[in-house]
Amino acid sequence: MHLIKRKYKNLLVIGLLALTTATCKKNDDGDDSLQVITNEGMAIDGALTLTFDNVVGDKDLVLTDQTYMNKTGEEYGINEFKYIISSIALSQSDGTVFTYPVADSYFVIDEKENTSLQLNLTGIPAGRYESLQFGFGVDQSNYPIEQGTLNFVPTAEEKGMLWAWAAGYKFLKMEGDFKTSGAETSEPFTYHVGSLSDTLDNFKLISLSLSSETTSNETATNTINITTDVAQIFDAVNTMSLKVKPDVQIDPENSPKIAENVSQMFKIKK
Amino acid sequence: MRISVTLIAFFLLLLSCSKEGGEESYIPIPETIPVKVTYDPTPLAFDIPSNFPELTYDINSNPPTEAGFALGKRLFYEGKLSSTGVISCGECHRQEFAFTHHTHIVSHGVDGALGTRNSPPTQNLAFMKEFNWDGAAALLDMQPIIPITAPVEMNETFASILKKLKNDPVYPDLFAKAFKNGAIDTENMLKALSQFMLLMISADSKYDKYIRNEGGVTLNEQEKAGHALFNAKCATCHSGELFTNQTYKNNGLPIDPEYNDMGRAAVSGKTEDNQKFKVPSLRNIELTLPYMHDGRFGTLEEVLDHYSSGVVDSPSLDPLLKQEDGTLGIPLTASEKTELLAFLKTLTDNDFALDKRFSEF
Repeated sequence: MHLIKRKYKNLLVIGLLALTTATCKKNDDGDDSLQVITNEGMAIDGALTLTFDNVVGDKDLVLTDQTYMNKTGEEYGINEFKYIISSIALSQSDGTVFTYPVADSYFVIDEKENTSLQLNLTGIPAGRYESLQFGFGVDQSNYPIEQGTLNFVPTAEEKGMLWAWAAGYKFLKMEGDFKTSGAETSEPFTYHVGSLSDTLDNFKLISLSLSSETTSNETATNTINITTDVAQIFDAVNTMSLKVKPDVQIDPENSPKIAENVSQMFKIKK
Repeated sequence: MRISVTLIAFFLLLLSCSKEGGEESYIPIPETIPVKVTYDPTPLAFDIPSNFPELTYDINSNPPTEAGFALGKRLFYEGKLSSTGVISCGECHRQEFAFTHHTHIVSHGVDGALGTRNSPPTQNLAFMKEFNWDGAAALLDMQPIIPITAPVEMNETFASILKKLKNDPVYPDLFAKAFKNGAIDTENMLKALSQFMLLMISADSKYDKYIRNEGGVTLNEQEKAGHALFNAKCATCHSGELFTNQTYKNNGLPIDPEYNDMGRAAVSGKTEDNQKFKVPSLRNIELTLPYMHDGRFGTLEEVLDHYSSGVVDSPSLDPLLKQEDGTLGIPLTASEKTELLAFLKTLTDNDFALDKRFSEF
């Protein structure tokens, strides 16, 4: 612990030094990559907030009361929208990667619970970060039992993100109702996507470029805003029809398609 | 223990000194002397029987220690792991029946709730690739999540269990002794359970001693004939020293409409896996009645009768159970059945069923 702290302190000094240079440099080349700086007086390096804004296309996601249209022309509403984020890392232009402690990087984003939409990360070394990586789901291939994979069980359980009858996590839990065009009544749909046993691995690593983000470097930012576009779950790479398959859970054909779409749903908010 | 003795001696010394100094300086002996429990990494011997295959469990990720095993054993028999406080893992996995629920067709959970499947033996799990009749758990460490959270089994949540364990007078010390970080958390709880279960190796049956040439143990003529028959007619699926090839098969049981259990298909999502269940190990088969995933057969004779004349056809029926002339099942004469039974009983490991290391009391 002491060793780690000392390491951070060293990084802080180097980081602050680098920052001074960087700030000066910025004025010359207009580099607008994200900077994370430390608050003065903090024992360890800076804090970084990740916010998740769940939307449907250009509309805000409103649970239950709002309907949307997918590419197939099906009108749908969402009652529950949750997903697991893990394995957070930040990369700098020189190739240095800061991996957030894996054991502390498991989160359930739940549209119903505002506090879950904001992840407060601490101990981020000062630096100029170009890209943000995180996982969709739980990476049990690399961390079968270590690094918090098992300690996430109570949280996931409380959030309904564990399969009821199998041993594993649901990475995405999306439930709602849909109507095909011309239909009188709506029908329920269920998308539960996760890895299961050895037969399904739906974990995805997401990498988002931060370099296009316009932030004022005079006042360094320490927030990254991410939008999560639900529409992509139906429309991104694979066109998913709710009529064709309203219930996707343990589905070796459709759940990987949804996971592939999910990997396209995150964007850095401009 | 040594620390506490030293402490007592020290306090006694203080006491005797202070008495001389007058009543005011009397120091009472505290009712409980706090003993600081520290992590005890003493490893536990883990020997793989010479006739066994490679481990499937990554033993380096969770090397068994004496303290970890002791904690795991206590957790295995701990009713607090269930919502009603009385259903432990050991309730449905009883040692004297090779850790199965003897005579219970399907498992019994909290408040008399009935499961839908027969509880399988917890033995040789360190060598298994997947767990449950349908393989719903790929890791031994994740397996206990299923019975613990299942409403018809232990019906409990991990948050609640951890709270109960933290408030228990015994567990904080046991966790501190078993794990470096001493945390009462899901990871350590499941790792301790794994350590206990990893050690549950059954490899000392008459058959094992015969195969390993130990102590001059040999099979009699009937058992030898049964062994040859077994190799010819059963060993494709019940293969190797674990007596299972760890695949999922439809062995021709008619569907029980009460459960309508589709088995492996629930995990794989594939219709071709309908009615397929994991080929069970036959070790200790004499002790683990009743048989099949739903415990429908009470005796081994019934099991053999099923294979010889009870197999029903369905799209996913294993091809090995369809003879070239179209007849179903495995042809077996009455005397062949007797010989097979004699051989199957050589797989009984009484040392395992009576091993004090694993017993509740």
